Amino acid sequence: MFKRKRSAEDFQAEIEAHLELEAEDLKGEGFSADEAQGKARRAFGNVRAAQERFYLKGRLVWLDKLWRDVRFGLRSLRESPGFTITAILTLALGIGANTAVFSVMNAVLLRSLPVSDPSSLVYLRTSNPPRGTGTIDSAQTFSYPVYDALRRQHAALSPLIAYVPLSANKVAVRYGSVPEEAEGDMVSGAFFSGLGVNLPLGRGFGEEEETHHASVAVISDNYWTRRFARERDVLGKTLYVNAVPMTIIGVAAPGFEGVEPGGATDFWIPLQDRRELNAWGNPPDDGKLYASDPSWWCLRLIGRLAPGVNRTQALAQLQPEFQAAAYIGLGGSPLQGEKPPILGFADAKNFPGYDEQYGSPLRMLMAMVGLVLLIALANVVMLLLARNAARQREFSVRQALGAGRGELFRQLLTESLILVSAGGALAWVFAEAATRLLARWAQIESSLAPDRTVLLFTLGVLALAGLLFGLTPLRVALAGKAELAIRTSAATSNADAGKSRMGRMTVALQMTLCVVLLVGAGLLIRTLRNLENTPLGMRVDGLVVFGVNPDIPSLQAGRAFYVNLLAKMRALPGVESVTMSEARLGSWESNNSDMMVDRRLPEVANGSSRTVRNNVAGPDFFHTLGVPVLAGRDFADSDNANSPLVGIVNEEFVRRFLPNVNPLGHTFGPDNGQVTISIVGVVKDHKYRSIDEEPIPMAWYMYAQIPVVGAMNVEMRVHGDPLAILPAARNLVQQLDPNLPLIQPTTQRAQFDTTIAHQILFARLAGVFGFLAVVLVGTGLYGTLAYRVSKRTAEIGLRMALGAQRMQVVWMILKDSLALTIVGVGMGVPLATLLGRALTSSLYGIQPLDGVTYLFAITAVAAVALVASVIPASRAASVDPMRTLRAE
Amino acid sequence: MATQDNNDDRIALLQGTLDLLILKTLLLGPCHGQGVARIIQRQSQEAFLVDHGSLYVALQRLEDKNWIRAKWGVSENNRKARFYSLTAKGRDQLTEKTGEWRRLTRAMDLILNPGGLEGEEA
Repeated sequence: MFKRKRSAEDFQAEIEAHLELEAEDLKGEGFSADEAQGKARRAFGNVRAAQERFYLKGRLVWLDKLWRDVRFGLRSLRESPGFTITAILTLALGIGANTAVFSVMNAVLLRSLPVSDPSSLVYLRTSNPPRGTGTIDSAQTFSYPVYDALRRQHAALSPLIAYVPLSANKVAVRYGSVPEEAEGDMVSGAFFSGLGVNLPLGRGFGEEEETHHASVAVISDNYWTRRFARERDVLGKTLYVNAVPMTIIGVAAPGFEGVEPGGATDFWIPLQDRRELNAWGNPPDDGKLYASDPSWWCLRLIGRLAPGVNRTQALAQLQPEFQAAAYIGLGGSPLQGEKPPILGFADAKNFPGYDEQYGSPLRMLMAMVGLVLLIALANVVMLLLARNAARQREFSVRQALGAGRGELFRQLLTESLILVSAGGALAWVFAEAATRLLARWAQIESSLAPDRTVLLFTLGVLALAGLLFGLTPLRVALAGKAELAIRTSAATSNADAGKSRMGRMTVALQMTLCVVLLVGAGLLIRTLRNLENTPLGMRVDGLVVFGVNPDIPSLQAGRAFYVNLLAKMRALPGVESVTMSEARLGSWESNNSDMMVDRRLPEVANGSSRTVRNNVAGPDFFHTLGVPVLAGRDFADSDNANSPLVGIVNEEFVRRFLPNVNPLGHTFGPDNGQVTISIVGVVKDHKYRSIDEEPIPMAWYMYAQIPVVGAMNVEMRVHGDPLAILPAARNLVQQLDPNLPLIQPTTQRAQFDTTIAHQILFARLAGVFGFLAVVLVGTGLYGTLAYRVSKRTAEIGLRMALGAQRMQVVWMILKDSLALTIVGVGMGVPLATLLGRALTSSLYGIQPLDGVTYLFAITAVAAVALVASVIPASRAASVDPMRTLRAE
Repeated sequence: MATQDNNDDRIALLQGTLDLLILKTLLLGPCHGQGVARIIQRQSQEAFLVDHGSLYVALQRLEDKNWIRAKWGVSENNRKARFYSLTAKGRDQLTEKTGEWRRLTRAMDLILNPGGLEGEEA
């Protein structure tokens, strides 16, 4: 089809042969040679037309025409590189930003769990745990007896799957000789088969392996790539998890990294039954592991509805079983007046929690980039209009020379499409980079490759742009009349009031959107400022923190390990002081419970909470952190198992529970009343879980005095660069135990910053989009004004010839853009208040109606308008009246 | 197809009929374009006017469709000419198109002479 079989020359030769044959025949019929030739030629008709038809038939005409149009379009775009580059960059930025934000939104909010048939999966939830239990999450975690009872109800959920992390953050693993850290879960045997996760390499494990607590592991595709370089012989290799050898038997399908949001699980092992591998990395409580401790609700549960059963039926069936199982080992029934827990289901179609975490900022970002896109599209439309209007004369001439309107339109459309394609291609490149940046924020990089949905979205936006730009030239193609070419005076050929009104409206609208974006960006950036400048109540600079999770065979051994560790750390050169705590500061981690004060539950005013946040600390804790001790003393080495139980509380604790008394000497303790601890110190309120939290009553235990010892976070105050101490610390820890990595070593400052990482990125992105909007509006305004001024050159020349002053001309131009600015700002401010209200939950230390922010946004837009107008205005004022008049 | 003048009683060819006529002509044996035109004109008792330009375009079209093939040769009076001949595919097409054409003319007749004698109209 695409190749031409026959040359035009050959066809020509055939026609020549025909004419000769025909003439020959005619001669035979009695015509003279001349007559015969003439008659043959006449009989043939138009030779050239036949040749043309042959030529056209020989190829795909439309492709030919398209190619011609594209070449022409490229040539004409090359002639105005300024316009072309501006238009393409504008499109690329607008569309790229949208694609990037959309791909994150797609990955985070729209994509379902990478398992088979996610809609029949449900997370199990409970209204509350029974009294006397410890939980990880009061609504989401269950005890082993509950799991064991519910998994037998095959008619409701088939199967029910339990999964639980081996550590609150990361767990020590070793492959080869170097200890490192990874995220690992213990899971039911039915985990892979029940969820329907494929294992492209090796196999999963089953009920058998759960029952026997087999020492096998399945690793994630990401971990396989990261740690094992995708080597296929990884199967059969040994991975030491907390020094327990596990044989790697399979690799999970790419993209599957567990069923909880946020973290990315690196490996899974069957539910275990050994001290080193307790749920959450906790030390055995009273010698009991997770499976034998009905009072520890620590397992997460997910189940697949049995075929033909809906949620209501499944719940109805499970409820009595659940309420019975909840009290196994807890006395068998609820206490007097206690509300029994109620089982519930949560949708497992999408990652739960993602929506709460990222939903509203992402939607807000999407709205903001949507506005940026609008501004960008409007800009390009205006540029196209201006450019095409400036080419009016060219079009008229071409029409006068016989070009059809259709041809003209097709030509302009091709130019627009070239712009859209180039802009789209560049946008994709830009989006790739921006997506990676956003992925860091959402911490889901492994599964954030742009997929089909994203591609469709981008193509959709491009189609929109293409359509818009396709319609723009239509006007020109229809408006251009051949006779315009004849009356080509600049003064007469430009007086298209309607078009300029549309241009003005577009500019005003752009300014409106710009104000909205700038207010949004301003509010978020000021929020970030507030967060960054929030006093933490401690000296974080010079503090480094890392976790250790040693194997602890007994309470005594555990305490001895830490005493030894602290002593050795203190002796390291450059170390000022060392301490440790169970929950890491600035990691959102916390233990909360009601507490006895002076041996009874404290009286609290109506509605206020009795909850106390507690932590386990080491000696010199507050001194090391730089938290002022207001009364009493810090923990000391001398507080040990043989000395009286001591605790420290914060100001808020005293304010709430021990007002108007000297708190020293009073006591607190857990609400079971078994332990009483004397308050020996009161410290100033400081940030604990995160930067943006409000003070809450807190209490600290001394690690050497409580009956549980497990993983700890070591805090070191050092001279100089805090991270420089890590190699020495790592060495030291490995001398104590070669299996121990430093878990998540970082500076305390960076640790706290992770709690505002979302806000930081959100604000930065909003700032970038705001800036982008300003630049786009600036170029748009400049382009439009410059074009309008150039069209009015003749008028200005005339005015000046009639005595108008330079300043009057400048003012005439400026007045125009000032009016636009006022209209734009007038519409923008009310819209911005709407945005501000929507942002309220993301703001910190600032009101949605923050005057400074609004003033800043308005000033910025006005300044951009002014700068973009001054250049064309001064150019207009330097018009030489004689030259312009003569040009007419 | 185009006519040169409408002042004679020759008939302009209907769209698509030229192809059929060419195929039919070539059934007699290989022939060059000018010969095809002459044969059509003669056989139709000069009723059809073959536009020579259209003829060559049509020949090319048929060649592209592989219904006919062509090669340069020498005419009876020793002139270079491009000779066309039917392919197997072309023969099939001829049979099919002839059938179509018969059905068409029959139908036209039925309408133009309702109840009349089929095909007897001069």
